[in-house]
Amino acid sequence: MTNYYQGIDIGSSYTKITVIDENDCVTYQNIIKTLNRDKQELANIISKIKSDFNIVSICATGYGREHFKDSHINKTEIYCASVGVSALYPELKTIIDIGGEDIKVIKSGGDSKVDDFYMNTKCAAGTGTFIIEIAERAELELSLLSELAAKSEFDKELNSFCTVFAKTEIMKWIFDEVPEHDLARGIYISIVNRIAKIRMDKALPIFLIGGVIQYHPFLKTIVEEKFKQRVVVPENPQMINSFGAALLAKKHALTEMKINAI
Amino acid sequence: MEQEIKKPYKIQSAKIMKEIMGNYFLGMKDTTKKIAWCTSVGPAELLRSFGFEVHFPENHGALLGATRTATDLIPEATKLGYSSEICSYLTADVGSYLKKQTPLTEHYGLEGPPKPDLIVYNTNQCREVQDWFEYFAKEKGCPVFGIEPPRYVDEVSNEAIENVAAQFKSLIPICEKASGQKFDIDKFRETIRLSKEATDLWKKVLWTARVSPSPISFFDATIHMGPIVVLRGTQMAKDYYTTLLKELEDNVVKGIGFLEVEKCRIYWDGMPIWGKLRPMSELFAANNAAVVASTYCNSWVFDAFDPKDPFESSALAYTEIFINRSENAKEKILKKLIKDFNIGGMIFHEAKTCFSNSNSRFGMPLRLKNELGIETLVIEGDLCDLRFYSEGQTTTKIETFIEQLS
Ligand code: SF4
Repeated sequence: MTNYYQGIDIGSSYTKITVIDENDCVTYQNIIKTLNRDKQELANIISKIKSDFNIVSICATGYGREHFKDSHINKTEIYCASVGVSALYPELKTIIDIGGEDIKVIKSGGDSKVDDFYMNTKCAAGTGTFIIEIAERAELELSLLSELAAKSEFDKELNSFCTVFAKTEIMKWIFDEVPEHDLARGIYISIVNRIAKIRMDKALPIFLIGGVIQYHPFLKTIVEEKFKQRVVVPENPQMINSFGAALLAKKHALTEMKINAI
Repeated sequence: MEQEIKKPYKIQSAKIMKEIMGNYFLGMKDTTKKIAWCTSVGPAELLRSFGFEVHFPENHGALLGATRTATDLIPEATKLGYSSEICSYLTADVGSYLKKQTPLTEHYGLEGPPKPDLIVYNTNQCREVQDWFEYFAKEKGCPVFGIEPPRYVDEVSNEAIENVAAQFKSLIPICEKASGQKFDIDKFRETIRLSKEATDLWKKVLWTARVSPSPISFFDATIHMGPIVVLRGTQMAKDYYTTLLKELEDNVVKGIGFLEVEKCRIYWDGMPIWGKLRPMSELFAANNAAVVASTYCNSWVFDAFDPKDPFESSALAYTEIFINRSENAKEKILKKLIKDFNIGGMIFHEAKTCFSNSNSRFGMPLRLKNELGIETLVIEGDLCDLRFYSEGQTTTKIETFIEQLS
């Protein structure tokens, strides 16, 4: 029977699941809202995976990792990100993971080792929540934000670090009749400028992952402009941590088997 | 994830300590005794030599933090105009006074901290204590005396020792008046002797953590430091650390540590997050990470005390404390600790409301990382005000750090 390995990334907004086979090939992926009151949905997905695949090991990651009872190991999303991206791009790099409620900047070795990392713990400035809140105040359709921003040459940013005050700040732009596409670009610039204040090795290529880049692909252009570096967005950037977790589940299973064999 | 259930490691002497600390607080009920308030690294020995019972407002602050009542009390002080970004010991303690609410009532039947006959502070740790203690001196209508040593010194010069010793001496007439007792050099020598013996034992207690597996963690030490903070200069403190040391040394001989296996050894810099002591301790333990050293607990190691030379030696002891040193001197002390305790990673707690005891703000973690190749992590939080602490994010940071070290 073929063995499969499962990674589950329980983030603050979404739960992502990846199943891989012995060759590290992704055979299954799914994503659902984390705070779905209907807990049955996740339970159904998990039991369907169990019946479809011979899952030998599970690794949980993300904020909810401790609450997932079926996992064999738990690892942080920072380590999983490093493992997931390194499996696809084995090189020294900076990974920027922009999630719903935080930003993580990881210096990641080609061998998946986390050399250094930064994470904001003070506020939600520059995260997915920031975009949602500001776009809502500016009455911009979230799903069109990237398309709009692509049409603009605007170069201003919102200065306030506080999401709530930034919402007040964007009112001034609206009163000044700044066109919609400029507002959209301004929001993205604000995010990237916040990231640029974090210490990182300027010589390294940047890999953008997380839900925000998945739904706001134009951010990549702004990151390229700001950092003047090779910027890569891996395929399915939102799923990469669960992919990393699946790889770690496999590694764990193989080590266990080795120990048992001794 | 299925967690293996292990028998929890317990330091048995904790029971005795609880009793001692209980008696210390109950002793404050005795209205016939004169009471002095003193900063935690203030001249407690001199005060004790006049027969004062000594109350330490910072100890009360830590209690407010540990019982998680501080967060409710701090806004009372901010209504009075104190910023919520200054020392949360101060704001919690002032808030407790204004709201007439303290865990001392529930635990020891005290209405609040004892009424002072004299208030003494030493700005060797920070300027905040000056404002804090002056506030209470006004409120309580009692004399206040401040010792102001040179700050952030590289090495302590002879002039600095003379200066501080002279300030200690000028405290004598104030103490005589407030206590109604004449100064007695022999009594002072005796309290310095007792303090020295207790502090030597405390150092030995902390230094047992150099062994792996260590018999005492940083989190344990923040609890067991109670007597050296509030009872130094007494026989009780000395006796307690004799007992504790024996237990820990026995555990070392038996190879028993608070972790069975130490995956990595960590130094903690700065203040504890009092309201999160237990979850923090459990978080590290669950990851087999041993937090075994700190300059915080070492603050009550006073090598310099010498009964032959009580004024000068205590002036040196209280001026050379880590918090009062230059970045350069601090770096030297840290490098030695890293080596002596075989440390693989350093966590710097950047306490929002304690500028003086947050050592990450002038680039120290990065400098040490670059120079020694040691991993460093800065976490943001606070000693008492949990509004400045994001538990989920910090847990992820700490676990990633441990993954990095393992
Ligand atoms: S050293 Fe920090 S915590 Fe202690 S009294 Fe001063 S400001 Fe407060």
